[in-house]
Formats: sequence, C-alpha cells, structure tokens
Amino acid sequence: MKTIMRFLPPVLFAAGLLALWYVATDLRLVSPVFLPTPARTFDEIASRFADGSIWASIGATVWRMVLGWLLASLVGVALGAAIGLTPLARDLLEPTLEFLRPLPASAMIPVAILFFGLSEEMAVSVIAFGSIWPVLMSSIFGFGSVRVRLREVSSLLGLTRWEFLRKIAAPSAMPDILSGMRSGLAISLILAVVTEMQASLPGLGRDIFLAQRSFRGAELYAGLIMLGVIGVLINHGLQLAERRLLRWRPGRA
Amino acid sequence: MAYVEAGKTRPGEMAARSSTPALSLRDVSVVFGAATNRPVLTDISFDVREGEFLCIVGPSGCGKTTLLRMLAGLHAPTSGAIEFGGKPIRGPSRERAIVFQDYNNALLPWRTVADNIALPLERHVASRAERDERVAALISKMKLEHAARQFPPQLSGGMQQRVQIARCLAQRPRMMLMDEPFGALDAITRQTLQDELMALSAEQRTTTVFITHDLEEAIYLGDRVFVLAANPGRLIETIEVGLPRPRNQLTTREDQKFLAHRHRLFGLLQGH
Amino acid sequence: MRRLWRGALIPFLVLAAWELSARTGALAYESLSHPSAIARAGLAVLLDGSILRSTWETCQSALLGLAVGAAFGILLGAILGLSSLAARMAGPTFDALRAIPSVALMPLGLLMFGWGLSMEVSVVAYACCWPILVSTWAAVRGVEPRLLEVADALEMSFADRLFKIVLPAAFARINVGVRVALGVALVVAVTVEIAVNPRGLGYALVLAQQSLKPDLMFAQIVWLALIGFLLNALLRTVETPRANGGGET
Repeated sequence: MKTIMRFLPPVLFAAGLLALWYVATDLRLVSPVFLPTPARTFDEIASRFADGSIWASIGATVWRMVLGWLLASLVGVALGAAIGLTPLARDLLEPTLEFLRPLPASAMIPVAILFFGLSEEMAVSVIAFGSIWPVLMSSIFGFGSVRVRLREVSSLLGLTRWEFLRKIAAPSAMPDILSGMRSGLAISLILAVVTEMQASLPGLGRDIFLAQRSFRGAELYAGLIMLGVIGVLINHGLQLAERRLLRWRPGRA
Repeated sequence: MAYVEAGKTRPGEMAARSSTPALSLRDVSVVFGAATNRPVLTDISFDVREGEFLCIVGPSGCGKTTLLRMLAGLHAPTSGAIEFGGKPIRGPSRERAIVFQDYNNALLPWRTVADNIALPLERHVASRAERDERVAALISKMKLEHAARQFPPQLSGGMQQRVQIARCLAQRPRMMLMDEPFGALDAITRQTLQDELMALSAEQRTTTVFITHDLEEAIYLGDRVFVLAANPGRLIETIEVGLPRPRNQLTTREDQKFLAHRHRLFGLLQGH
Repeated sequence: MRRLWRGALIPFLVLAAWELSARTGALAYESLSHPSAIARAGLAVLLDGSILRSTWETCQSALLGLAVGAAFGILLGAILGLSSLAARMAGPTFDALRAIPSVALMPLGLLMFGWGLSMEVSVVAYACCWPILVSTWAAVRGVEPRLLEVADALEMSFADRLFKIVLPAAFARINVGVRVALGVALVVAVTVEIAVNPRGLGYALVLAQQSLKPDLMFAQIVWLALIGFLLNALLRTVETPRANGGGET
C-alpha cells in the first residue's frame, strides 16, 4: 500500500501528460508536423529497436561522449591535483584557465575543425574541452582543501609525496572529483549531440537533425526521448557509483 | 614514579635510562609573526624522564598546544634547544606520536577503523600477516572489536578517540604527545578513557606528555604536573604528584594529597 | 606582483611561439594565422562595428530566453515548492525532461519556428528554465513556515500568497539560480548559432572559419572569452562555494 502511494502520483502525472499529448494530436490542436501522435512516436522507437538500427546510433553517441569525458576527467584530475597542491602550478596555470573557462565549448568547434577536420577526433576534443571544467574546478577545490590535520598526520608518519597523494589527498578530494565528473558527463552528452550535428557524425544527434530536415516529426521525438533516457540512465549510474565509492560519508549510505 | 620503579624493568637498566632525560628543553622561546613580535612562549626549560607521564596545564592562550607541536616537530622554536633522546628535534618523526583533540579531523574518514590503525604500518611492516596481527592486537587492546569494520564518522567521539590512540600506538612511538585528547568528550567517557590510558601507560611505559586545561585530569593522570601561565606563556610551577598507583576515580580524587594539589593549582591559575 | 608575472608566463610563451613559428613558416599561416594578424582582424571588426552588432544579436536572444525561462522556472518551481503532492507527482517527469540535452531541442525549435530569433529564444529558455526551477523549488521550500501561516490567517488567494509572501521571501535564493542561468543562456545562444541559426556571434564564428579567415575566427573567440570572463567576474560575487559536504549535510 505504501509503495503504491509512493509510485501512484508520479505515474498519474506522467500518464496525464501523455493523455494531453494524445488529445492534442488526436483533435489536431497542433500540426502533426510539430507534434506527431504518441502512438507514431513510440512505433518509431519500437521499429528502430526491432531492426536494431538504434543501437548503432546510441553506441556512436555514447562512445564519443564517454571517450571525451574520460579524457577530460583524466586531464582534469591531474591538473586539478597539481594546481590544488602546489602553489607554483596554481600561479602558472590559473589565470590562463580562468580566461579559457567561460568560453562556450561550442566556440571551440571551428578551431577543432581547423585542426582535425570533420572527424571523430574533432568531436572528442571539443567534448573533452567542454566537460573538463567542472572536473578541473572541483578537483582544484578538493585537492586544495585537504584538512591541515591530515597533512600533519602524513608528515608525522613520514609518508612520501606519492603516499600522501594516494592515501590522503586523492580520497579526501574524491567527493568533489566525483561530483565534478557527474556535471562533466551531462556537458559531454550535450557536446556529443552538437558535434554530431555540426560535423554530420553518426549518432542520435545527427538522427534528430536529419529527421527535422525531412520533416519526420516522429523520428525527431523518438530521438529526443532516447537522449532523455540516456541522460537519466547515466546520471543514475553515476549516482550509484558515487554512493558506492563514498559509502564512508555519514547519512549517504 | 612509584609504578615505574616497581615495574618489570630491571633496576640497572632503569638507572642507565634515567641518566639521559627522554626529552630536554633549554631556554625555548617562540615568537609568532615577524611583524607583531608577539611572544607565545618564553624561556621554557625542563626535562622529561624516560617512562614518565607528564601533564601540562594552563589557561587557554598560554601556548600549551604550540609547546606540544614543537615536541612533535611540527613547529620550530624561535630560539632555544629541544633534544629528544640526546638529539635535537629537526622535524616530525615516527618516534613521537601525537594524539590530537579533534579526532574527527585527524582520522581518515574514508578508511575503516582497522585500516586507519594499519596506516602507520603500511610501508614499514612488509608482511601482510604481521600487519593484520598487530592491527588485531591493537583493536582488542583499545576495545574496538565491534567497530573494526566501521568508518570513523559512524562512531561516537570516545570510540573515534580510541581509534586515534590505537593508530598512534601502531607506530610504536618512544614518546606519546597528547593534546587535550579528552577535551571534547562527555564526563563519563572521559573518565573511562582516562583509566584506560593509565592502564596502557603502566603496561607500555611510553614517555607521555599530556596537555589539558582540566586541573583534576592533570593531577589524576600525571607523575608530575607543569603549570603554564599566559601572556607570555611561561612555566610557573612544577608539582610532583606522588599519588599511589593504580589510581581510582573515586578514592584517588578524595585523597588529601589530591585535594591539596588541586587547591594549589587552582590558586595558581586564578592568580594569573 | 610575482603571481601576476607567473600567470602571464604561459600565455606569453604560447603567443610568442605561435607568432614566431608562423613568421618563420614552420606553421601553415593560411590555416592558423598568427597573433598579430588576429589582433589586427579584431581591431578591424571592432572599428566597423560588425562584432558589436553580432554581439547584440546574441545578447538579445540570451536575455529574452533567460526571461522566458525564468518565468516558467519560477512559476513551476514555486508550485513544486508549495505543494509536496505536486513535487511528488511532477518530480520524476521533470527529472526526465531535464535530462534531455537542451541542444537536442534545436531541431524541434527549427521545425516549429524556422530560423531566427524565436527558435533561439525557445532553446535558451528551455535550458535556463531548469537551474531557475531547481533554485526556486529549494528557495520556496525554505520559506519560513510562520510566513505561510500568516498567509493562511489572512485567507490569501494562491496568487496573493505567491506574489506577496513566497516569492519576496525566496528572492535571494532564486536570484542565485537566475545568475547561474545567465551564464547558461550565453553559452546556449552561441551554441545554437554555431550549430544551426544564422545570426549572432556564433554564426559569425562559423562564417569566418568556413570562409578561411582564421584571423577573424580567433579574434572572435578571444572576444567571446572576454565577454564570458567579464560575465563570470560579475557572477562570482554571489556564487556560493561548492564545498564538499559542508553545505549539504
């Protein structure tokens, strides 16, 4: 009974929206070009799953996104550790980074095209450029705010620099790193879609772009729904991973 | 000192040890801030005997913590000499363990209790089996059996402080430095930990410097009590406690000698 | 002073190496240009006003989109904040909608409005709506219950309650969300222009790249970075530090 009460309201709301969608299209309140019927949209999704063609699109988009994101996370954490822990690196790099950071990542697309052409490398480099900022900023914060006590404990125990990094600084910065990586992943999905549209690389982004050009509304909505599903899934996946990695934090287990 | 002399150490060894003090300070002064030149500690000189339990009391701002941090090697004196085992202290060393008051900051919250205790052993004890054995021994000694696999933030303050003490013992220090370790705990937990610490100290005979602002705690635990006054921090009195061991929360605290010491210290700290 | 010097070191070295390698021919000049040419191109578009015109176009859609997004975000956020039933009902659906990358709506915007201001504003509004919705939701939930009791006692209507009590009380925290959304608005507007919409700074950037004018392209990127930098400096005065745990637990 309790579970029903928990799940009923959200399901009712979603069903209500669907019904509204159905009524609006059925009574032709909105042109079917802008808003296809729910039935046609879900048919479209079902048929793309049935013939398996959707997996290629999903695979291409997710692969590109994950590659760029991993690259960004790797570089972001390494740079963040250097800047957070050593004043020299902070002085050298921070002003340059502060200038680059507010630049919309999409503005790097023309530059990346100059270097890599309309290629996969172009897409991955733009995705990495855009999704590095949250990881980098939160890593700088995380590594920079290792508790003074823990620094003292590590020097009292005679830990080496590497041991301090591995045993004290990295785990201490982990909550920040992970939350930065989660924001970074959302950005990398956005940029994967943009670069696909711009460079006509295979993926869900190009699918919806092509659907719009040929006025195939159902395909467009199908693509949007799939992108939303991917967004929700990766966010939940990362939240689970975060909870697992940070199970020592009180009140979050 | 009664319990040390009556202990298991042979008399000859004891005599050889006491000839050089475990720790000696000569005219140690500390000044904070090159611009303000605020003296924190002035002309502190004392010796600590091998195996002694020394308590230092003083009002807040008298430089107790600075003094302890110098003994740990975390802070250098502005002038004067500090020698540990006949050699000057140049920086932190595994021979001197420090128990901080803020256990919640000093423990690694992402490591279980057992892994926290294992931290000092990791590069120094190669054998995994020996490491586990030593950790297990410390866990049972500090009565942490039920908490071994938990994370520090899940434990009470008293339990967390036990973990920190166990971690310090794991490094097998020659001297324990304790900075108001029970200051943040409730009265009952504090008494329990005081008695456990005394039992531990009677067994291990590690030289201990214990800082507190609680007069009774200082008399109850110490072989000697040093009194610091503030502004600038200076040593104003040394008291030989001379109460028999083992001590008891009830009878020792009602002992005439205990009350006399308490009276004296209270007067000293009021006066300053 | 030393920090300033150190901070300038890397940009200086990069610019010097770039300039030198372009002048000695080690670098293909036509594709990458060099700093002094970029400076000249930047000065030219500043003087003839074309970059200011495209900046105005971009700002126009960013601000309009922000206004529309803020209106929706504040209204929906206030409803969710005031009624826990509404929050339980709509929360999961909103989470799912929020997960759709805003830029994926560009084709939909094109389908509905065609090229121009409206489609750009609609995408920007969608992107700006979420941070404002979330901050309003949190802000309204945090309104002192005593104030709501006052509203009850005065038998206020929903609109009165919203505009006279709740929104003024929650204003400061909603404002934080609006400022975050301002940054989002600029980024999304430029992105829409780069990807599909032929107007504003983003399109000028693509045009410069496609007509093989790298000096102009880099000048516009520097200009964009400057705008973003100034905007960030403006926003930093209110941005709350993202301390780990501290604020949340």
